[in-house]
Amino acid sequence: MATDTLKNSSTGAAGVRRLLLDNGALTALIVLVIAMSALSGDFLTTDNLLNVGVQAAVTAILAFGATFVIVSAGIDLSVGSVAALSATVLAWSATSHGVPVFLAVVLAVATGIVAGLVNGFLIAYGKLPSFIATLAMLSVGRGLALVISGGSPIAFPDSVSHLGDTLGGWLPVPVLVMILMGLIAAFVLGRTYIGRSMYAIGGNEEAARLSGLRVNKQKLAIYALSGLFAAVAGIVLAARLSSAQPQAANGYELDAIAAVVIGGASLAGGTGKASGTLIGALILAVLRNGLNLLNVSAFWQQVVIGVVIALAVLLDTVRRKAGATPVAAGAGGGKGRQAGTYALAAVFTVALVAATSLLHTGSASGKPKIGLSLSTLNNPFFVQIRAGAQAEARKQGVDLTVTDAQNDASQQANQLQNFTSSGLGAIIVNPVDSDAASNSVKSADKAGIPVVAVDRGVNNATTATLVASDNVAGGELAAKTIAEKLGGHGKIVILQGQAGTSAARERAQGFADGLKAYPGIQVVAQQPADFDRTKGLDVMSNLLQAHPDVQGVIAANDEMALGAIKALGSKAGSSVPVVGFDGTPDGLTAVKNGTLYASVAQQPSQLGKIAVDNALKAVKDQRIPSAIKVPVKVVTKDNVAGFTG
Amino acid sequence: MSDPDELLRIEGIRKSFPGVVALDGVDFDLRRGEVHVLLGENGAGKSTLIKMLSGAYTPDAGRILAGGEEVRIHGAQDSERLGIATIYQEFNLVPDLTVAENIFLGRQPRRFGMIDRKRMEADAEILLQRVGVPVSPRARVRDLGIARLQMVEIAKALSLEARVLVMDEPTAVLTSEEVEKLFAIVRQLRADGVGIVFITHHLEEIAALGDRVTVIRDGKSVGQVPAATPQDELVRLMVGRSIEQQYPRERTDTGAALLSVQGLTRDGVFHDVSFEVHAGEVVGIAGLVGAGRTEVVRAVFGADPYDRGAVRVSGTALRRHDVNAALTAGIGLVPEDRKGQGLVLDASVEENLGLVTLRKATRAGIVDLKGQHTAAERIAGQLGVRMAGLGQHVRTLSGGNQQKVVIGKWLLADTRVLILDEPTRGIDVGAKVEIYQLINELTAAGAAVLMISSDLPEVLGMSDRVLVMAQGRIAGELAADEATQDAVMALAVSTPGTPTTTDKEAGRGH
Repeated sequence: MATDTLKNSSTGAAGVRRLLLDNGALTALIVLVIAMSALSGDFLTTDNLLNVGVQAAVTAILAFGATFVIVSAGIDLSVGSVAALSATVLAWSATSHGVPVFLAVVLAVATGIVAGLVNGFLIAYGKLPSFIATLAMLSVGRGLALVISGGSPIAFPDSVSHLGDTLGGWLPVPVLVMILMGLIAAFVLGRTYIGRSMYAIGGNEEAARLSGLRVNKQKLAIYALSGLFAAVAGIVLAARLSSAQPQAANGYELDAIAAVVIGGASLAGGTGKASGTLIGALILAVLRNGLNLLNVSAFWQQVVIGVVIALAVLLDTVRRKAGATPVAAGAGGGKGRQAGTYALAAVFTVALVAATSLLHTGSASGKPKIGLSLSTLNNPFFVQIRAGAQAEARKQGVDLTVTDAQNDASQQANQLQNFTSSGLGAIIVNPVDSDAASNSVKSADKAGIPVVAVDRGVNNATTATLVASDNVAGGELAAKTIAEKLGGHGKIVILQGQAGTSAARERAQGFADGLKAYPGIQVVAQQPADFDRTKGLDVMSNLLQAHPDVQGVIAANDEMALGAIKALGSKAGSSVPVVGFDGTPDGLTAVKNGTLYASVAQQPSQLGKIAVDNALKAVKDQRIPSAIKVPVKVVTKDNVAGFTG
Repeated sequence: MSDPDELLRIEGIRKSFPGVVALDGVDFDLRRGEVHVLLGENGAGKSTLIKMLSGAYTPDAGRILAGGEEVRIHGAQDSERLGIATIYQEFNLVPDLTVAENIFLGRQPRRFGMIDRKRMEADAEILLQRVGVPVSPRARVRDLGIARLQMVEIAKALSLEARVLVMDEPTAVLTSEEVEKLFAIVRQLRADGVGIVFITHHLEEIAALGDRVTVIRDGKSVGQVPAATPQDELVRLMVGRSIEQQYPRERTDTGAALLSVQGLTRDGVFHDVSFEVHAGEVVGIAGLVGAGRTEVVRAVFGADPYDRGAVRVSGTALRRHDVNAALTAGIGLVPEDRKGQGLVLDASVEENLGLVTLRKATRAGIVDLKGQHTAAERIAGQLGVRMAGLGQHVRTLSGGNQQKVVIGKWLLADTRVLILDEPTRGIDVGAKVEIYQLINELTAAGAAVLMISSDLPEVLGMSDRVLVMAQGRIAGELAADEATQDAVMALAVSTPGTPTTTDKEAGRGH
């Protein structure tokens, strides 16, 4: 073994080859970078590579913390929630309660550590499986973040927000924080008592205990470290968005775990390195960035990401299996191993190139380019915005790139950053959160790219125009509709949208404002059902247990209204009128069938169409109004025929 | 055509893994109704050879013939079809299924698509009777002891109507009584015409059970001899040199009592255990498996709690159930389950050697890696650990070298009382002697050694005093010169004391 390394380090090329062969993830990353550079001219620029770094930062920092846990044969599912909770605590104490910023930061970090200690305590002394203990913390952390913030994002103190800026105008601070935390993680793992204990505990807990390691105490510390790293990640995330979002970092724990495993750690414990984890996080970021630049369809992106994760880990397993020799490998074994790795790398490249070029919708030059970042595509309303925008783009000869932020403000920030760095003519944004989008929109403004907001506005930043229907007015209309149907008297329930989103807040405000005029209407319950049909069904069924005598339902969108109708069964439309919001095709069909009494119809495809139209005008430097209201209308059975959706 | 009684013939088998040649020209044959012993040091290639028969590996060169025809064994199915069944050291049983379900796993008799439990259990009953174990087919495997698990494995092999039964060190984990029972079953199978490949490290078992012996050394078959060959000759064939003395104990003058245990009791497990171990002394603990020996030493070491009694090292009492207190006082434990409790298998030799001293080598949370490396290098050299380098994973070391690493980590921690629980289980003769030499060096340096062993000749050969445990109590103590196999066995099967008297004594603070 020793002579082997000596031999190889003597010649540089052989040394590099050795490094690649010994590290499948690094090979995968390099293959990925080469493939992306070949496919997109925008990829290999300094600006874009820095973008990739920024976009990897939060996942990487979370993943460093998760590395400690995974090396010690545990799992931490709570890191995403703890990140959001810590950031919320920081913003809440500093902004809403005037705590000095320095103290607020300490408080936020302490929150992360305490959450970690609770995990560690449950696991080490309560003997809970780490999966269960941290799953519980995932829910508790998220819940507390929502409780503290009251469901709305809180502005982040300016001094901390500088963590999201750049140094000297080009070096992003999140990248620096990522590198710093990475060095700390590497140091902890490699050089400290607790780090060496992690490997021993993960490798064989009983042997570690019988060798005098205080396993329980170490576990407390390991999970506390993971919580600490999650808190730092949360602060960086919120700093980038200048806003602490209670729903931030949702699902990031899985990205973090993926990064650790791609980086060569085993979920069985005992192996793993900080450098590997960094590579894992970079692979995920390069992939997302590249697929954005290549304009791969939002749906196919998820498929490609999943396939690449599997292939990256497969590459490493195959390499390891080939290299699992008891003694130093001889020449013959080495060759077989090389061939295996090269073959797999080749398959990997071909698969990636084929997939992306297949899914690549092709960008002919000369046409004006516009990017559209939608908050989600998991809802027919936004799918219709996309349809309207795409139809208009085709008509006008515009090259339109559509991305899906999956209701994650920070992912949207990444996508907007990618749009900005690939030099589009204009950007249309449908913000996940109006506050969180402001930094990204500002940097687009700085780059001279006009931004059109659609459906939801962007706060604290200049947009060319806002194309939207009025949610508050729509909410008032919905309230008025149900009150009049009930004759001004009766008990109703309200199904609210996803806590923390502006649409949910504004519509709820509209409902409340509208109901003020009808003192005879009693709201017996209002509960969130997250704009989701299944949740609408569940929540409504539960509410019916408590309030069987309910006489009317207002839902903040059609999806939840349709869920409520399922729960109400035959009562829907006959004895209990349900009013929805949005006027989606499903909603309108229900209105036609009489199960949905009314829907406050927006015209999503109109929103998309008008947004593209105005973005194009902005590209051509034509004057456009600063706000464009697309009318909302109450659709009932009487006028449904006139709505095509 | 060859012998019609020949079940299996292996000719010139070669198998190499990247970087290592595991087997290099092995010949072997097996006849109907014989016990053919495979003998060799750990790492000689026995396991690789039997994995060729079970289909886990395929040979690079050479041929395997079954009943005179060349066959290729590519997996468990091929092997099953040829009537070859293998019983590994680690059993392939599902702990939460019943005995009957395990025996017929994957081949449960069915009726209308549902498992026919009644028939399955009746069939299992017959098989269990054939191997002579009084176990209910409905018992859960988790609840069985290790000897019975083995019998279930044999029953499973019988249910497959195996004509070739491969047994990998079946006696390593059994007490002498259980070994006798196993031998009876094996003899019965032999009489039924089954060919048995038997792997063992216990030379005395060869004469007792075997018919022929094939010796493998460094991946080559070096000889085929009758089982009646003298042990010295077998050892010479196996290690390639002769071993002067199997138990080279050198007695030293004993000093003050280092470890003293008084009235140690855990209700229902062990009762009123008292003994002392002096500096420079090796005290052996003999007894049947289940007599409570491992439980006692684990309690002494603080790995498990106890209800009453006291453990003192050089007069200072240790806190109950506190490994770190024992460690600080200078006690070290080399556990019975080397892989499960003694080693971090996927960590390097260096890391394993430094495990106990990790805390001592830490200043302000940072480990002195250089110091750890130097220490590991020194001790590995001193113990003669055969490895590719300190970075080699201990998983890939042979059993003897693994055990040296476990002992080495305690030597680094300046252990004064070393507890060895089955220190040479599964270790070949050459490495055994090296471990005995280590024990000599330790006692010469003034340390005390407490050694549990189920290998009677080892206990008798290496101990200065022998404690015999039976049913959770110390049944008696024998000085080295009065300890004979018969004397030890007589005590081991006795029923010492009665619960009432000991409880009283303990109450009086004996």
